[in-house]
Amino acid sequence: MIRKILLPTIFAILAYGFWLSPDFKTIAAGVAIFLFGMLSLEEGFKAFTGGLLEKLLRRTTDRLWKSLSFGVVTTTVMQSSSLVSVITISFLAAGLIPLIAGVGIIFGANLGTTTGAWLVAGFGLKVNIAAYAMPMVVFGVILIFQKSKELKGLGYVLAGLGFLFLGIHYMKEGFDAFKDDIDLTAYAVSGYAGVMLFTLVGLVATVIMQSSHATLVLIITALAAQQITYENALALAIGANLGTTITAILGSIGSNVDGRRLAGAHLVFNLTTAIVAIALIYQLTDGVDWISHLVGIAEDDYTLKLAVFHTVFNALGVLIMLPVIQPLVDFLQRTLQARERTAAQPRYLNASATSLADTAIEAVRKETLHLYDNAFEIIAGGLRLRPDDIRSQRPLKEVIAQSEDVPHVDIDELYELNVKSLYSEIIAYISRVKGTMTPSQIDDLFALRAAGKDLVEAIKDTKHLQKNLDLYLHSDNPAIVKRYNAIRKELAAVLRGLDRVRDQGDDSAAILSLDGLKLDMKENDARLLDRLDKLVRKDKISAHMATSLINDSSYAYDVTKNLVKMGEVLFSSGDSGVRSIERSLALDVDEMDDLFTETKTNIERML
Amino acid sequence: MKIKKLIRKAESYLDSDERDRKEKKKYLKQVLRKLSDHEKKLQARLVDETDQDERAGLEKKLALVHAQRKKGLRLQKALMDQSKE
Repeated sequence: MIRKILLPTIFAILAYGFWLSPDFKTIAAGVAIFLFGMLSLEEGFKAFTGGLLEKLLRRTTDRLWKSLSFGVVTTTVMQSSSLVSVITISFLAAGLIPLIAGVGIIFGANLGTTTGAWLVAGFGLKVNIAAYAMPMVVFGVILIFQKSKELKGLGYVLAGLGFLFLGIHYMKEGFDAFKDDIDLTAYAVSGYAGVMLFTLVGLVATVIMQSSHATLVLIITALAAQQITYENALALAIGANLGTTITAILGSIGSNVDGRRLAGAHLVFNLTTAIVAIALIYQLTDGVDWISHLVGIAEDDYTLKLAVFHTVFNALGVLIMLPVIQPLVDFLQRTLQARERTAAQPRYLNASATSLADTAIEAVRKETLHLYDNAFEIIAGGLRLRPDDIRSQRPLKEVIAQSEDVPHVDIDELYELNVKSLYSEIIAYISRVKGTMTPSQIDDLFALRAAGKDLVEAIKDTKHLQKNLDLYLHSDNPAIVKRYNAIRKELAAVLRGLDRVRDQGDDSAAILSLDGLKLDMKENDARLLDRLDKLVRKDKISAHMATSLINDSSYAYDVTKNLVKMGEVLFSSGDSGVRSIERSLALDVDEMDDLFTETKTNIERML
Repeated sequence: MKIKKLIRKAESYLDSDERDRKEKKKYLKQVLRKLSDHEKKLQARLVDETDQDERAGLEKKLALVHAQRKKGLRLQKALMDQSKE
């Protein structure tokens, strides 16, 4: 309801303002251009997230200072704490970094975002930045039209910076012209009442603009034009900091538990910082004066002093919160708990990651691994084996011998319950992945989708196999029981082999060794035909039983083939480029046939 | 001479096909090295192995990794040839 009213109200107020004052129009256009610049900058940096940023993020999980530095540096470089937050949330959701590292990054991002004020106050207001802005926009837009992903990304960054500068220029111009008509300082409120009031104004402005950076630039340009008092500007800066928290909380509503915990940490940090800053505002102002004097900032350079204040109170927040980061993480994990999830519900598909190709691919990979776990249970159950026994170190002969009490499972029912809907969610998520992707990233997504299909096929083949398996396992004929147990053992070996390779995803040799499972199964299939001849001739099994065995051995080979194909894609955790190479080096059907003939001849020669 | 070299470098950077090939070659080299190390380890194990069944298993693994490595080398050659054209 509020959302429905909010937008028309904002439009009406702005339209009235534009009609009333052309200078207000210039300021508002400045803010709009600035925000557009930020969007363009984010889009540009997303082009470079394919690799570098993710690699860095993966390496910042072991130490808190590294997470903190990552937050400071990336936010300083990209001038957008929201992009850093999005990447952090999606990495948390994909289970790639622990919560404490995520919180560290968010604390760092709060400190990094203060560099924006320095850039605007120290550089933006001192030089004619519009002169730099124009060529940047022109070069940037030309680059955006290029085919290469990197050049396109560079174009967005350049155009983004150009628009940021242009936005600042318009805000500056607008306030300069504005002061001839109206003196906003007439509305200044001093004392604690003013601090409270302007904190609230800063908060509301940030919630509306969805960017504390834009609010801060607006504050600095207004301060430079002497349209607000220094004291009120400080309160506005505190409000802007609090405002980003509201944006983060709104953004986390649709997110999973990790997103909500991170937004919680953000809230606690900014609330504590704001309370401390408001309570100690006069002491902090004295401190800022002292620091400014120390670094040579002029007594009346209030814009730079505001930048000092912004950095000081955020640094104070980090100093206060860092010692209690572990209790804070414990508290968040205790209070914000994940909703009960069934095996069919997705765990890693996070909407916020859809615009970051590499992170989205990682989320799809993790979710398909979850699908594999569900499929593993079904296939093991179809073979009348316990998944834990397959994963154990016990000899498979013993596992098969002691599996008589394992009950029959309804594969159709389990498939509907734990696989079908999860697979559909993965397919839908893949179709939502946006943004420019490299050919190998597109390949990756297609391969992951195919891996899901291979799993489904493997389940279907197991279902065909199950029919005769259930029939003959309790037969009085020991020869047929033995043959079916052999198929169970071979498939259990495949499942065990897959499980072993799963943990060595970064080793290409291990991933490619999965082809060996296909070779083994092919040999087993060929050997079976020889054995069946003998068994039928000696009247140990009927011709009907032999036909069933031939069909079921072929199903077992198909299960293996599908699982190996899936494993070669799904278990590989290397770079996107490495994964693509691994896929192209895996042997196809013809190559496998050649190898089979070759190894058969070699082994026969050896024997 | 230097300018020519610079132009060639800039051209190869702007040519996205060539950049893709370079990237592919880099990753292929990494994977081939891993396969080669694995092959050497298997060969060392085969020398020490006396059990007939284990030897047969190792021979099979060796044949597989060798076939994959050969496939990789063919791909590497094809990429080199494309770059030369």
